[in-house]
Amino acid sequence: MIASVAFRNFKALRSTSLALAPFNLVIGPNGSGKTSLIQAILQLRALAKLPLREAVADNERQPEGAEILFRFNPPFDGLEASLTCVSEAVCDLLQVTPLPSGEGVDDWAGLRTRLLSVRSYCFDHEAVASTPALKDGAELASDGCNLAAVLAARRQAFPEAFARFTAELFRLLPEYDELSLIERADQCVQLGLRLADGAELIPAGDLAQGTLCSLAILALAFDPAPPAIVCIEEIDRGIHPRLLRDIRDLLYRLSYPAEAGETRAPVQVIATTHSPYLLDLFREHPEEVVVTEKHGRAARFTRLGDHPDLPGLLAGASLGDLWFSGVLGGVPEDK
Amino acid sequence: MSSAQPPLKIAILSESPADEAAIAVLAEVALGRQCQRVQPSLRARGWPSVAQVLPAIIRHLHFNTDAAGLVVVVDSDNSVVHLPSHDAPDYFHPYCRMCQLRAVFRQTTKKLPPANGRERVLRGVGVAVPAIEAWYLCGRDEQVTEAAWTAGLEIDRPPYTRPQLKYRVYGTDRPSLYLETQLALEAVRRHQGDLRRLENDFPGFATLAKDLRSWGQ
Ligand SMILES: [Zn+2]
Repeated sequence: MIASVAFRNFKALRSTSLALAPFNLVIGPNGSGKTSLIQAILQLRALAKLPLREAVADNERQPEGAEILFRFNPPFDGLEASLTCVSEAVCDLLQVTPLPSGEGVDDWAGLRTRLLSVRSYCFDHEAVASTPALKDGAELASDGCNLAAVLAARRQAFPEAFARFTAELFRLLPEYDELSLIERADQCVQLGLRLADGAELIPAGDLAQGTLCSLAILALAFDPAPPAIVCIEEIDRGIHPRLLRDIRDLLYRLSYPAEAGETRAPVQVIATTHSPYLLDLFREHPEEVVVTEKHGRAARFTRLGDHPDLPGLLAGASLGDLWFSGVLGGVPEDK
Repeated sequence: MSSAQPPLKIAILSESPADEAAIAVLAEVALGRQCQRVQPSLRARGWPSVAQVLPAIIRHLHFNTDAAGLVVVVDSDNSVVHLPSHDAPDYFHPYCRMCQLRAVFRQTTKKLPPANGRERVLRGVGVAVPAIEAWYLCGRDEQVTEAAWTAGLEIDRPPYTRPQLKYRVYGTDRPSLYLETQLALEAVRRHQGDLRRLENDFPGFATLAKDLRSWGQ
């Protein structure tokens, strides 16, 4: 979907660019640009909702204002989208220009439709455990607060997808054997999981943080009509290190649907983490890992796959330990 | 497989639950009896974490469990392959993972007093060259053997890479844990009746099988 993003003067991203893969795991210290990358993509979505404006002369833009350039993969590689600043310090102008080569030069409408489906998530276990109104189940909210309603709607509209979701759920969390979605008299839905051995129903509010976050990620991975791009912050939040492999598999299901037996279009995934254990799982695919680094007030991106000595380093330590040690970059500066 | 004996309590330390499931099948064949795995299962984060955590695991199994033995299987990756010459008395190759793991066993167990009715936790060490997927291809792909890998390393031209082996086994670069486990089990069950081919093509497995057969003595 998005092939690359180039930043100038956007927060700590003074001058850096990043080629995006179908799946991207972003690691790095706080304030080094992980969230800024996601904010830039969300700003592109926000401005894409508005009608495109006429071309704006360079002298009308803030001279030192931020600029973000997006390029896209086929069938939209003939277009470039730029976000710049006219009236405010934040990027408030989207312009779309044709490139000398590439497809989709006349298809801003098609690209726009895809961009409008970009979604960002940072699941919060307390939100996921809440009891949403049944009518609010159209799509998963960014904190997961309407998960119960989304699942109830999916059970109704996409019973096959729902059945595959529950089958995977009980495989991942074998201590449960039933997902309960109770539609209450007040038109709200209450989620619970029934224990396989004792038949006791555990209400969402009593489920573990990691169980709730796993449920939300699982719901996303089995969405029958997922967004074009999914950004997920702190994907490992609350999840036991031994279950991170399952989480990685779920995210791969989004990015590489054919390999998981799915027939839908691939979803571009941008996930952030602080977990060395999750990073360990990318030993075979370091090209999927983006390292953000901050030197002074300027941050930049590098791809782990471009590290010249990675195979040699991996002979002596795990990827997670290498990251923690500092030899891969992406660690906080000393105080 | 004898059904008269009670299951043998064993522990397995490997790099993933998929490997562990496959190793459990192979261990039962080599031991000739059913096994019961110690709970909770053990896991390491690949090399060198296996060697680092191994002394603590041996100590834990010795004092806190009734496990008869511990099976450890690691991938060799691009490290030195264990050779018969390494088996000479008092020899130890510092870069061979088999030699390293055996040394950890030796040094850790000799310091421990008897516990739970046994002198020590028995040792079963295997090294998959260059990765456990090579074992899974045994009998399916004639080109994949430990000798082929070692010969390739000598001329600095490995006959295949780890990702290639994984692709041949799983049919994808990104297998899910579920798929990996299913295909690993399917692969090792082909050897259930007879381990000779696997032992012949992969001396790193033969040493494990030899270790396990010695447990009954
Ligand atoms: Zn050796």
